This record gives sequence, C-alpha cells and structure tokens, in this order.
Amino acid sequence: MKKVININFQGRVIPIEESAYEILQNYTDSLRRYFAREEGRDEIINDIENRIAELFTEDLKKSQAGCVTEADVAKVINNMGRPEEFDGEGVGAETGISGTAATSSSYTTQDEPRGSLFRNENDKVLGGVCSGLAHYLKMDPTIVRVLFALVTLGGFGSGIPLYIILWIVLPAKGMQSNMRKRLYRNPDSKVIGGVAGGIAAYFNIAVWIPRVIFAIPLIAGVIGSLFQNIWFFGHGSFPDVVFSGFGGTLAFIYIVLWIVIPEAKTASEKLEMRGEKVDLESIKNSVQEELQGLKGRAEKFGAEFGEKAKEWGKDVSDLGKEAGDRSRAFSAEIAPAANRAGNGLGHAIGVLFKVFFLFIAGIIVFALFVAFTAVIFSGFGLGMYDLKNFFLTGFWQNFLAFNTIFLLFGVPIIAAIVWIIRRMTGSRSNSSYLGWVFGSLWTIGIISATFLAAMVTREFKRVESVQEDVAITNPVNGRLHVDVMPAEGKFYNLSWFDDVSDDIPFMISAEEDSLLMNTVKVKIDKSDDSNFHAYIVKFARASNPVNAEAYAEKVEFPISQKDSTLFLSSGFAITKDTKFRNQQVLVVVEVPVGKQINLDNRINDFDWFTVSTNKRNRNRGMRIDWEDEWDRGYGYKTDIWYTMTPSGLEKTDKRSDNWNTDENDSNGNEDGYRYKKERKLNVDSMNIKMDGDMKINGKDTTINIKLNTTQENRFKGKKESDEEVVVSLGKGRRGHTISVLDLMMIGR
Amino acid sequence: MNIENTQSQMRKGVLEFCILSIIKRGEAYPSDIIEEMKKANLQILEGTLYPLLTRLKNADFLTYRWVESTGGPPRKYFSLTDKGAEFYKELEATWQEMANAVQLITQNGYQVAELTTTNSQ
Repeated sequence: MKKVININFQGRVIPIEESAYEILQNYTDSLRRYFAREEGRDEIINDIENRIAELFTEDLKKSQAGCVTEADVAKVINNMGRPEEFDGEGVGAETGISGTAATSSSYTTQDEPRGSLFRNENDKVLGGVCSGLAHYLKMDPTIVRVLFALVTLGGFGSGIPLYIILWIVLPAKGMQSNMRKRLYRNPDSKVIGGVAGGIAAYFNIAVWIPRVIFAIPLIAGVIGSLFQNIWFFGHGSFPDVVFSGFGGTLAFIYIVLWIVIPEAKTASEKLEMRGEKVDLESIKNSVQEELQGLKGRAEKFGAEFGEKAKEWGKDVSDLGKEAGDRSRAFSAEIAPAANRAGNGLGHAIGVLFKVFFLFIAGIIVFALFVAFTAVIFSGFGLGMYDLKNFFLTGFWQNFLAFNTIFLLFGVPIIAAIVWIIRRMTGSRSNSSYLGWVFGSLWTIGIISATFLAAMVTREFKRVESVQEDVAITNPVNGRLHVDVMPAEGKFYNLSWFDDVSDDIPFMISAEEDSLLMNTVKVKIDKSDDSNFHAYIVKFARASNPVNAEAYAEKVEFPISQKDSTLFLSSGFAITKDTKFRNQQVLVVVEVPVGKQINLDNRINDFDWFTVSTNKRNRNRGMRIDWEDEWDRGYGYKTDIWYTMTPSGLEKTDKRSDNWNTDENDSNGNEDGYRYKKERKLNVDSMNIKMDGDMKINGKDTTINIKLNTTQENRFKGKKESDEEVVVSLGKGRRGHTISVLDLMMIGR
Repeated sequence: MNIENTQSQMRKGVLEFCILSIIKRGEAYPSDIIEEMKKANLQILEGTLYPLLTRLKNADFLTYRWVESTGGPPRKYFSLTDKGAEFYKELEATWQEMANAVQLITQNGYQVAELTTTNSQ
C-alpha cells in the first residue's frame, strides 16, 4: 500500500507515490546544488525538470498504476544522470565555456607537493591559515584550529598578530582538506547525548575513557555535596551539585558540546566521524556498487524493489547532501576569490573589518566566559550564591534569581561559545531552532529579572522600629567613654568586594552563614535626670509593618559596660534566617547635665545607609541613600571629651582635655566645636503612620504631623519647645509611619 | 591512468561539435539530440546535455523557441545563430585537421616513423 500524492510539477498536476516524490525531491535538490555555481543554473534546472515532467506524462499514459512510481522515478533519474556522473561525462561545469576552469581544477587537485606552506582556500574559517598549516603538517585542521585558539587565548592574544602576518605572507591555494574527520555525536553509542561516543570515535579510543572522564567528577560532586548537605543545611541545592568545581566544569562542557556538535546521522557523516576517507568518488562508488547489486535483485524480486528503492533513495539523498556541502563550500569560495581579483582594496577593507570584528567579539566573549565561569564556579559559591540567601526569601525568589543569573547572563555566553565552536569546527548543521531556543530562554531570563526586582523591591517598602533599653550604671567619675568591641567570631570582607571593601558595610563570617552589618549610629542626648541612660532603636524593612517589626526584633546588638566604658558591638550579625532588610541600629546615650562623654574613634567605622522603595517617591523603585558623614549630623567628633550643658553638648575645655589624657589616648588639637541645637533636617523617604499623640523618650510629646507636598516629599517639622515638636500631616494623609529616628531628628 | 578516463576525455572534446552539428541540420529538441547521438553510439546523459545547451545559448551560439506539444509541457527547440554557425565552421575546420592528423598518425604510423628515420639519416 503506497500513499499517492498530487504534485504540481512544471505546471502540470502529476500523481506520484509519496516515496517516489521524496526520491525526486532529493534528486532535484542534488541537481540544484551541483549547478549552484553555474551561471544559467535556474534555466538548466528548469529544462531538466521540464523534461522529467514530459517523461512522467508519457509514463502516466502507459502506466497501470495511474501514478508515477518509484521505479518510474528511478528510470528517469537514470536517463538524466546523477550529478556525480556528470563529471565523468566531461560536460561538468568545470569544462564549460563559462570559464571557472582554473579555480575548479585546482580544487580537484589532490596530490600537492608537500614542500611549501599555503593558505587553504577551500577549507577555511577566517583566512585558511590553520587549514593550510594542517595540510602542511598533515594534521586535522580542527586540531590545529583549537591549538591556535588556545595559543591565542593563553598567550594574551599573541596568536592574532601571528595569524594576520601568516594571512598576509602566505599565498592562497585551493587545496583539499587533507583529513576530513569531524567531531560528531555518536548516536550508536550514547548514554546521554552521544558526546563521549563521538569523542571516542574522533580520537580513536575506547568509549569508556571519555565517559569516565565526564562521569567521575560529577558523581564525586554529587556525593560530596550530599555530605555537605548534612553539615550545612540548605547549602547545596541543585545548582551547587551540578555547577561545583571540576565536575561542574565538565558537565558544563558536556552540555555545550551536546549543543554544538551535530549528530552523525547519515552514513557519510559516520564515516567522517571515524575519519575514514570520504569524498565524492568513494561515495559514488559505494552507491554505484549498491545500485548494481540492486538492479540485479530488482529484476529477480520485483516485489522487493520498493523497499530497497527506499533505502536507495536515502543513499541518494545522503549523496546529494555531500555533493551539496561540497558545492556550497566551493561557491562560498568562488565569491571572495572573484571579489579579490576585482576589488583588491575592497577586499582588504573587508578583511580588516572581519579581523577587527572577530577580534573584538573574541575578546568580549572570552571576558564574558571568564567572568561567567568565575561567578558560576567560584565566586558564586562564596559570594553571590551565598549572599543571595541573605536577600531572598521563599522558593519563588530563589527560583527567579537562579533563572536570572543562568538565563539572562548565562545564555548569551553559552550562545557565544556555541557560535565560536561552530565556526572553529566548521560544522554546518542547519539549526535555526537554536537561535529560537536561546532567544526564548533569554527572554525568560529578562522576565525573571523583572519579577525578581519587583519582589525584592517590595521587601523594602515598609520600615518599622523596635526600641530596647540598655541598663547602664553611672560611671564613678561622671565621665563615660564609648568604645567598640571587636565582633565575636571572625568576619571577612567579601571577596568580590575587595576593591571597595572599605565602603561596604557587610562582612561575612568564616562559616559564610552570617553577615556582619555595621549600619549603626550613635546619638548623644541630654538625660532628664542625673543618671546616664542608654537605649537602642532597631530598624528593619519589609513588605508589611508586621514583618518589618519582626525583622527589627531579630537584630541583636549587645552593649556592655565595664567601669566607665560602654562597649558597643562592632556590628550586628544577620543570618540566612534574619535576612538583609536594611537593618539599622541607633544607639542613644543620654548624658546628664554636667557629666562628660567621649566617643572612641572606632565608632567612625560604623556606616549608615538607607534602602528606600517608597512608592510615593517620584522615582519609584529601589533607592539607596548613603549617609557618609553621619556623625556630623549629631555634631560631635570622636576622641574628644564633651560636657552636657543645659543647652546641649559642649566641648570640654582644653584643660580638662589635658586632664583626661592619662586615661584616654585622644588628643585635642581641634578648634572648639560646638554642638548646634538647630540642625538642618535631613529626612528622606519618611513614612508617617502616627496621627495624634505619641510618646517619645518617656515624655508626652504632642505631635502634629504634616506631610508637605514638595517634590521630594520632604518632611517638615517644627520644634516648639524642648518637649514639643509640631509636625503636620496634610489632609487625608493617614496611615503613614513616622520612624522614631526621624522624630528624634525633628525633636532635637 | 584508467581507460575510462581517457575515453571520456576524448569524448568530451567532440560533444559540443556533435551537438552543434545536429542542431545545424535544423531545429532540434534535446531528447531528439540524445536519440540521434545514441544511434551514432555516442552516449550522453540528458543531465549533461541541458547545461551544455544552456551554456551554448548563453554564449549566443544557440537560440530557442517554445513549441507546444501534445499532452506534455511546451518544448524548447534549439537552432543555430549566425554566430553559432561561425563557431561551428571553426570547430569543423579544427575537427578536419584533427581527424586528418589522427588518421595519418594512427593508420600510417609506421610510414611516418620510417620517414623520420630516413630523414635523420
């Protein structure tokens, strides 16, 4: 039972067996490729098809089947002759009047004397230098290319000028590629993608060798990270297993090779894979042999013919492909050759452009590759990947983050590598789908990044604070020194922040499970009674007030006192559970009138910044304000003794400075600095929630909140007296949060 | 060096001449040309004839016209142009020379050889 289809062939509707149609299709394709370099190509094909249509019409008249059969097609093709037979006929394109004789005859030249070095015009990626070298050394061009690429990459680009010099110096010559061995994936011996099988065939080694090389580190990695999981919960997840260390690199390479290397589908490709000699002649011979045998059998076993013809049709198509590849490569060769002759200058410019482009592209891709591998395989483990646990919550955020990094940044790099390897190995498999796959993956990456940004931004929307009293005793001599105690446990600068570590308020713990934040401010206030007091206000942000308060609650900032010295922690740790939510700590020390205070200069190590994503701001999204000179806002300098007076903090005079030096190594060459009571308000992105009475510092303070309507949404408050601050909120502006810190600044 | 190769080399040279010769006698359809050459025992594949005709036509040696046929697609009938006739004449002259020369060498080979030997003496 055969399927018969109607085709429109040369303006005629012809019923034809589907299988016969395929054979016909392959045949005309092979003709098309054969005549690709011919001037009157379309006309020739048209004439031949016309004739075939005529023969079919005759066949149909006589035919009992009522359609064109495979046998009919085979007969017609036999009449017309196959492309590979044309050469023997001597009327092949190269002997034609159109005069491509010179180039094509050099193409067919097989036995070049080995003596001198040429550029190979017939098998080239750039200028045919590597191919020529390979021909000279009797090596596989691919290997020479890879070696050259390695020299170029490893030798800081030294290969590039060398290549250009060779390109200029060596004469071009059409030579046959001396070995046609190509890296294919081997579908006959595959476990995953046949990459190992292909490599084994290429290097002529046993299959298990590349397999073991690929597999062992991966297995070791999986086992290793399983152990790791026992010790560090949540540390090794899927990407860790696959992308860790050496095994990860190999897995990555395997995936890239899987994508890059075409599968050896046809007989000729399988021959090429093993490096057996494949040329038009040998395939023609094998096909002809097969055909001869086939004919004999066909006469005897008419019934069998159909099945066999199918196989034979397949061979024809393979053959066509081979011939097509050849002629395509050849025609690609012809064009620049003609250009060169015609327009030397234009060619030179073109070449320069090409070199420049490939050079730049190569550098970019190499840099990206290095950066990406560095991030994925090393930095990721220590820096970003671990750090993400401090920022992200929940499955979706992690999922999106992974997508973003892998798809948005990884995919273009993989695509670039694929492109380069394809250029290098000269594989020409038709896979436009790869572009689509890369494109859509990248789009997914962009979408993930957008969602991630939105989700993370939300986490910083609301700010809440929690106040915590610190019990301190009055220092015996009425003078309090405030110092910073080194953090418990070791903390290090993040490796990827090396250059800017001074400005970064993060330190990572030795176990990489917590971050040390030093967003701490110290404020000095006047005590209401005759005692020293201290308390801390902890701030944190989240998507809603409840969570923000919970995060603030989790901040631990111990303060201890030893005699007359108050020790602050050097920072507070945030863990993967507490997350980074722009936690801040304000330390308020209340000094009674007449008593003295001194801040150690280690307090300058504290830092302060505010992440704001207040939607009411004109510029929506994430905004980070760094307050570099935070200490000035409070009007004191470190290492100087101040005395609290009824009107505020005042620098203790020089005499007392000297008197103090014995117990305090500070020095005092400053000119008198006065604590100013009136300060400019510097309040950004204020949240106001309170409406009505509010208690601050244990006193009843009337607060009338007002949000002014200037562009920056600046917050205006007015201090009426020491106890009262008037801040007003515009009509209908309810439900805002005003943080304690801000009230204090206004209340000052 | 195989015999087939040499044979095809020999055939190659005369193909164009033969084709032009057939067309010279009057308008010809490609499959007629094939038939005629087959009769003369000069094998040629149709697939090689068409490109050859196209090339000759592109070189202005041939021209063609479409002729409707019964039950088949329209056919191209080729005829010689003036330029083609000129070209043919030259080829003919060359062929005559060649044929004579070949005849002389192959048929009377030993006489020529004798001649040269006597001359040299």
